[in-house]
Amino acid sequence: MSAQFIGMQLFNGLILGSVYVLLSLGLSIIFGMLGIINFAHGAFYMLGAYAAYTITSYIFPNFWIAFIFGPIFMGAFGAACEVFFFRRLYKLPPLYVMLFTFGLMMAFQDIIRMIFGSMGVPFNTPESLMGAVNLGFMYYPKYRLFLIIVTALCSLGVWLFLSKTRLGALIRAGTDNSQMVDALGINISRITTLVFGLGIGLAGLAGVLVAPIQNVTHLMGMDFLIDCFVVVVIGGMGSIAGSIIGGLIVGEIIAMGIMVWPPIANTLIYLFMAAFLLVRPRGLFGREAFHD
Amino acid sequence: MKKYNKIFGVLVVFLMVSGISALIVSPAVAADPVKVAVLTDMSGPYAGITAKNVDAARMAIEDFGGKLLGQNIEFVYRDHQCKPDVANQKAKELYEKEKVDVIIDCPNSAAGLAVSNQARIHKKLFFPIGSGTTRLNGSDCHRYTFHWGYNDYMLATAAGLWAADNLGKRWYTITADYAWGHSLLKNFKNALKSRGGTLLGNDMVALGTSDFSPYILKAMNANPDVLVLLNAGKDGVNSTKQANEFGLKKKVKIIHALFFIEGIKAVGPDVFADDYGAAPWYWKSQNPGAQKFVAQWQKKFNKPPNWMNAATYSAVTQYLEAVKRAGIKDAKPVIEKLEGHTFRDIFANPGYIRPDNHMKVADANIIRAKRKEEIKEPWDFFEFVGSVSAKDAYEPVGKTGCNMGGF
Repeated sequence: MSAQFIGMQLFNGLILGSVYVLLSLGLSIIFGMLGIINFAHGAFYMLGAYAAYTITSYIFPNFWIAFIFGPIFMGAFGAACEVFFFRRLYKLPPLYVMLFTFGLMMAFQDIIRMIFGSMGVPFNTPESLMGAVNLGFMYYPKYRLFLIIVTALCSLGVWLFLSKTRLGALIRAGTDNSQMVDALGINISRITTLVFGLGIGLAGLAGVLVAPIQNVTHLMGMDFLIDCFVVVVIGGMGSIAGSIIGGLIVGEIIAMGIMVWPPIANTLIYLFMAAFLLVRPRGLFGREAFHD
Repeated sequence: MKKYNKIFGVLVVFLMVSGISALIVSPAVAADPVKVAVLTDMSGPYAGITAKNVDAARMAIEDFGGKLLGQNIEFVYRDHQCKPDVANQKAKELYEKEKVDVIIDCPNSAAGLAVSNQARIHKKLFFPIGSGTTRLNGSDCHRYTFHWGYNDYMLATAAGLWAADNLGKRWYTITADYAWGHSLLKNFKNALKSRGGTLLGNDMVALGTSDFSPYILKAMNANPDVLVLLNAGKDGVNSTKQANEFGLKKKVKIIHALFFIEGIKAVGPDVFADDYGAAPWYWKSQNPGAQKFVAQWQKKFNKPPNWMNAATYSAVTQYLEAVKRAGIKDAKPVIEKLEGHTFRDIFANPGYIRPDNHMKVADANIIRAKRKEEIKEPWDFFEFVGSVSAKDAYEPVGKTGCNMGGF
């Protein structure tokens, strides 16, 4: 096994990790801020890919338009879902929330299947990002490098937004004590809508980004969803940094596992999660409040 | 009152006499008509490919003339949603309550085996098309099942032999880690071995894996002539898209286990361009009557038929022909007319029904997916590049593991 091969595989882990990061960021923000375990997150990710397909095929044949407006549309759609559906769930026991989000996932999948069929839809890599670049030690597809950069920028942006801006401070305050924030004269319901829209927007972005390298079908979210829960558990529920580091760890574990012995690659992440939770029951950066 | 009684009495006598005379004069009218059923996936994962098999069967009955043994041919269909338990239940209903004489199709190998078992119990015919498992004409074979479209041995062996002869002898395989993938791998390996090739490596990949790039890199690292992708559906698209992304196709040819025009249509011609695979049939076929069938289909559905549609049409036609030759619809004489029969139709030219394991065999086609710029006509996604004789493409007699048994 050459060093070059190991290097490429490490890079691959990073790409896989990037998708996990984008998805689990949204999952984690929504869980952390709103206390909702969103089983429909994978379906929102799938809708993001179909939004990109619809834009590039029927409205404007340009990947960059889809890249910008796809996530924005998904964010708005997520916000609308919050206003119409999720808002009613905050005060209910978690079981109701799980049932609802699970049902929503199936509804989205079947609607997409009815409209676009079960075989999937075409989506190609944009011309400007085709081909490979020489990184010195290897050639690597341009599009995958682009994916890493976008993920890094997004993660940084979300972190800056939540930790450095006034709105971010309000969101964090709302998480700890929403009644107090409400009492201080701040419209908490507008903040929850925003948070939910942001989380879904990130899932939509992941869907758009993944569309050129994977099969766009109504079931594409299913494979990622469970892994993302593993990421969130390892990283610590509700933690931004946890999602980022957890996502990259899971991506690398899978990539390295494949190099050593493929059949165990997907099982490894669960073994790792179990072992990790024995040492750190709250995950990497999990806060005590969520485990009461 | 008495008057009415009299009239009633006369009526009863009249009815009895006419009934008895009808029985005596024309016994054929009293026999049940031939009843054909299609059991297929109309709402599950294969629906996009198999749902129209219902129309293919209907078309075959119409083209046959709609009448057999002096009565109209009856037709029913059922959706098994790609679930073996549903298939089992529906098959039981079709044979028992609907009194059908034959069930056609049934994709999903587990479902196919369940229906085949029902056929054996009810002593009625079954023509599996969509299910490819070799058990149907191997360890689980029996008198009442005729395997029509293809089997996994043929897909792997035909593509394997042709590729080893024409594309290169150094292979790498990426296999979906379940029964179907394993069975294909075994047959591909044997084909390669028989041509003196080497398998540089194989990776078993869990079903539903979304990122194949580590496997693709491993394969590229081994520097093969041919990459064989033993997966289907979503996994097939993901692995191929990612192989393209890494520029694998610049040096390596890709072989797929299964190819459908609908699959190419769904993901666009760029993904599979220049890849190879085996197929029993393609709509540009020059078999007798094929182009007439295609034209008829195009007119009706605005797209050409896929090979499963054509196989359904052929199975129904050959069944009806066999009943006609037998002159009676009972299973035993019809089966005896089918065994060892050679025929030419839209699907097979010639086709031969092997008596030893009830596999319908014909030469296998090797097809190549066209590049975007080569596609001149909508849906014309493939090009015939070669064929493998029926003798080489199917299991040799005596090696199938089939013990046919009696009726």
